[in-house]
Amino acid sequence: MSRRALRGVLGIALLLILWEGVARGFALPSYTLPSVSEILLSVWRQRQLLASAAWFTMAEALAGYAIGCVAGIGIAVLLSLLPPVRRGMMPAMMAINSVPVAAWSPLLLLWLGVGIASKIAAVALAVGFTVFLSALAGLDRVDRRTIGLMRSFGAGPLSILWRLRLPTALPLIASGMRVSTVRSLIVAIVTEMLGAYGGLGWIIYQAVVQIDFVSVWSAILVASALSLAFFGLIGAIERRVVFWR
Amino acid sequence: MPVCAHPVPPWLLMGARFILGLVAAALLWEGAVIAFGIRPHILPRLSTILSAIAATPGAYWSGFLRTLLETLIGFAAGAIVGVLNGVMFFRAPVLRDLLFPIFVVSQTIPVIAFGALVVLWFGNTLLAKAVIAFYLTFFPVTVNTLLGLQSVDPRQTALLRSFGASGRQQMLRLQLPMALPQIFVALRLAASLSLVGAIVGEWFGDTTGLGVLLLQAMYNENVVGLWAAILCAAVLGTGFYALVAYAERRIVFWGAEQ
Repeated sequence: MSRRALRGVLGIALLLILWEGVARGFALPSYTLPSVSEILLSVWRQRQLLASAAWFTMAEALAGYAIGCVAGIGIAVLLSLLPPVRRGMMPAMMAINSVPVAAWSPLLLLWLGVGIASKIAAVALAVGFTVFLSALAGLDRVDRRTIGLMRSFGAGPLSILWRLRLPTALPLIASGMRVSTVRSLIVAIVTEMLGAYGGLGWIIYQAVVQIDFVSVWSAILVASALSLAFFGLIGAIERRVVFWR
Repeated sequence: MPVCAHPVPPWLLMGARFILGLVAAALLWEGAVIAFGIRPHILPRLSTILSAIAATPGAYWSGFLRTLLETLIGFAAGAIVGVLNGVMFFRAPVLRDLLFPIFVVSQTIPVIAFGALVVLWFGNTLLAKAVIAFYLTFFPVTVNTLLGLQSVDPRQTALLRSFGASGRQQMLRLQLPMALPQIFVALRLAASLSLVGAIVGEWFGDTTGLGVLLLQAMYNENVVGLWAAILCAAVLGTGFYALVAYAERRIVFWGAEQ
């Protein structure tokens, strides 16, 4: 392991020890700050409940993530191929994007109900805009002279898109997709807390209402681990696919 | 005779175009709802929403101000702490290696889950909401400050040092100004994020604020009220973002963005 990674592990270990020490040393009540061991024990005790909730939330986040990525990249490609449409559409897109995601969630809940559709839509909206904006920035980054060169060899717009624009844009698209992983889970949980039939956000909400903060912490721990795993997975795929970076 | 004795200043032209665009969008909204017969449950007419705001302007105005204040406090604290963190990590790589992974993990925590805890720790005060806005803001600023500082040409630093510049002088005269474009990219992102933090923070038993208005409208299935709150949030978000972008153009006048 590199020295840097070793220090990172050391930092996290120190934090956990400090946390445990503070929580136990000052005998803090568990609604203020439960100790790490208490949280881990609670995760283990509720492992079945948490696992099924994590699966529920992950499914929503993945569905929304897939829809958001496809829509974001698709719309960006379409708008970059059709400049007049782009000039007309961009103000509307920016207007939608100027509203914080958290403000759309209640509306989506009213439109689509308490089921999973509203969560998938909220995730797709958040992921879609991040991916859309980074894809558009990537597609615009192409050197005009290179386009001119390809055109002089008789390449059509589709060929330029496939061979030049998309490969140039891919690093930015991939980084947008990587950033969106964490966001997708957070948005799913935020929307679940406003109303849901299951999932980590629902567990957190119920635990807050019952003032059971150990359960809140254990659900947070699971959510955080899921986010990191998702982030790592997309990051690994990115290194494979965007090898020329 | 001069053709244009009083040339129209560019800011007036830009303002006029902006207002024109706004009016066109408003007409389009109103017209589309009427023409396509969109049910008010999905999308109410803009005029209905505006008259709902005009009916009780006090509630929206105080909610707007409250959320604005929380956003500003959280943003300012996040920006200051973020820049200081970046400088600290730049100066002390050991600290960076120790703390950076913790910061990364902290950003995977859904802030809304934290909301209840923050309210518990800090009480149901304005400060608790600002803390959540701060929590969302400080990390991107830290990352970009560090990136900006690291991208400074070491030969320039060496030159300054050879003239006897102290570490602080190097930081203030060379490294921080060079990092400013990167820092402002993060500040623009932070402007949007701090608003999200303030709104979500208000979902935990507050009585005023745009987040409260959103939640109340949702529970009452009041779509017009919901849209009115969304509109206020959009105005607040766009205005704040524009302010940060304006500050960027004034401060980073050499415009070295990317």
